[in-house]
Parts: sequence; structure tokens; C-alpha cells
Amino acid sequence: MAAALAAAAAGAQGQNRPSTPVDLPNGPAKAGFDIARFSNAGNGWFETFYVTQTRPLRDALRAGTVADDTRLLVTETAGGRLALLTEQMAFHHLAQGSAGGTDWLVSF
Amino acid sequence: MGIHDALFVMQDAETKTLWNHITGEAVYGPLVGRNIGPLSNLLHMSVKQALATDSAMRVAISEQVYFAGGRRFGTASRAARVGGGGSGEGRRLGPSPDNPNAAMTDRFAATLGTEDTRRPRMEIGLGVWTGTTARYYPIDRIRARGEAFIDRIDGKTMLVYVEAVSNTPAALFVSARSAAREGSAVRLDDGSKVESGVLTDRTGRRRPVERPQQMFTRWYGFSLTFPGCQVYGDDR
Repeated sequence: MAAALAAAAAGAQGQNRPSTPVDLPNGPAKAGFDIARFSNAGNGWFETFYVTQTRPLRDALRAGTVADDTRLLVTETAGGRLALLTEQMAFHHLAQGSAGGTDWLVSF
Repeated sequence: MGIHDALFVMQDAETKTLWNHITGEAVYGPLVGRNIGPLSNLLHMSVKQALATDSAMRVAISEQVYFAGGRRFGTASRAARVGGGGSGEGRRLGPSPDNPNAAMTDRFAATLGTEDTRRPRMEIGLGVWTGTTARYYPIDRIRARGEAFIDRIDGKTMLVYVEAVSNTPAALFVSARSAAREGSAVRLDDGSKVESGVLTDRTGRRRPVERPQQMFTRWYGFSLTFPGCQVYGDDR
């Protein structure tokens, strides 16, 4: 699996939405990871983008579905470079799919 | 999904293992010791820049509402934006690195470990790491160097610069000794040029781009992920 990971800052602004409980295993923990400081904040707020279709970016631009200045997050997959819309990833935070016979995951 | 060190932590549905979303390491659960990698960079670009980089690039678009060229697209809309980016008001006012004035709520601050106080918690910058070195470049120090300069990491020469179109810091390996901004491009002293993420040599021929692992980040996130990291401009 190839993964493209970026620093997603968790929360600066107030988010009062309820978070769903996280079903945690009984460890073990990697050194430096303190499960006592783990919070379920944000759990259930987002929907992972399961990518089943892609199209040439050039075609999307030609069709007006994106504009020259639309902001993208670009990653490498086994099937070539793939762009995701930054604005949509600010909602999904996670996207995953398969390309070139290899699964990929993007975190933002 | 949850929070630790005020950064999102991923959980896989199959084993319930928690994963660090920056390094790809399993941090809690049965798969500790494993890594989800190999990792590739997640680069910030505009469409124009992306097509200049790779005209064959593909795009995936979900049903989530977004705006492009002054028009609204998508059918699904939920206001659950936290972190990350977007391109509208949420990006400017939210915790995205684009917002230099973002603050952290108590709920998230409670998950922080012992912070590295060498830099302000919410400062933004570029984090670069290799197998042996992690280095943070405060955005103000990148700008103070004219938004383009040469540095070395693990014996390799690296250009650190601000992408003019996306206004985000980035790094790539080069063979030059000095760099200077020239409009929206970066001119290197070996005659090569970087523009819209594309590296060309002195004859204008396109060259392959090799980038270190990097991210546009806040100080707290990078320093808690890479404790004791180097800070560009500090003695090392």
C-alpha cells in the first residue's frame, strides 16, 4: 500500500459536535504514544472518500469542473499522479483507492 | 479516527490499530511495529501547476460540495471541516496552515504531549525528513531568505522555496549552489529553473524532480512527531 500523508492539524476552531466512541484494542503502544492522551474528538465527523473513478485533470479543466486556480493535493500512486480537491479533502480527510494494482491512502 | 498530540490519528477498521498519519507508523494496537508505507508526498498545487507538472495527471472528485471558477459543484454538503484546507472562508479562518492566527481549543490541547518550546506552537513552516534527519523551516525564515535558498540535508543539496502559485513552501533536490526568485520562478546558479514545480535545465529541457519527504505544517505537529528535530536557522 502506498500512502500519502500530510500534517492534518486537528482543531483550532471550536467543534461542539458529538464524537462517536472509538473501539480501542488493548495495546500495545508504540514508545511515545500515550493512550491516556488519546481523544475520540472528530470520530464520526468525516466520510472517507472511497475513490472508484478518476478522469484526466485536463478533461475536468476543459469541462469547467475545475478552474486553473482550483487547489489540489497531488500524490503518486502506482497508476500515476493523482489529484484530489483540497476543498473536498478538508471534509473527507481520508481518501483511499486502488491504482495500478496497488492500494493507496491519502490523509490530509 | 481520533486525536493525539492534537493531530489526527487514523484507525483501521479491520484490526482497530491506530496509525500515525504523518509517518505511517502503527502507534497503538496489534500492528505496532508495522508501517503503512511506502509514503509519498502530498503536494499542494493549483490545477494550472499540476498540469504543467504532469499533463497526464488524473483527478478524483467526490460528491462533496466545492467551488471552482465561481460555480458550485457537488451534491453532498456537510459542514464538518476541521484542519486541512479548503479554498474559501473556512480555509482562511480555520486551523489550516494558511491561517497564521489560528488558535487551538482546550479539547485538542489536552491531547498534547510535552511541547518543544523553541518555536511558537501554531507557527507554520515546512517540515522535511529523511531516514536520519528531520528539519523544520519556519516560514518567516524562508521568506527572510528571499523565498528561495539552497540548503543541505544528509549530504544532498536541496532547494527550499515558496511556490508562487500556491504560496506554499516546498523543497526539491537540485545541484546548484545558490537560488533566487525571479518572478514566479526560482533561478538557480547552474542555469536551471524551477517554475510551477517543474525543473528545467539551462537549455530549457525538463528534468526529473526528486523531492524529500515533506509537509506544510505547524510547529507543534512536526516537533511532536519528530522530537528534537532540527530548526533551520538555529545552531546545529
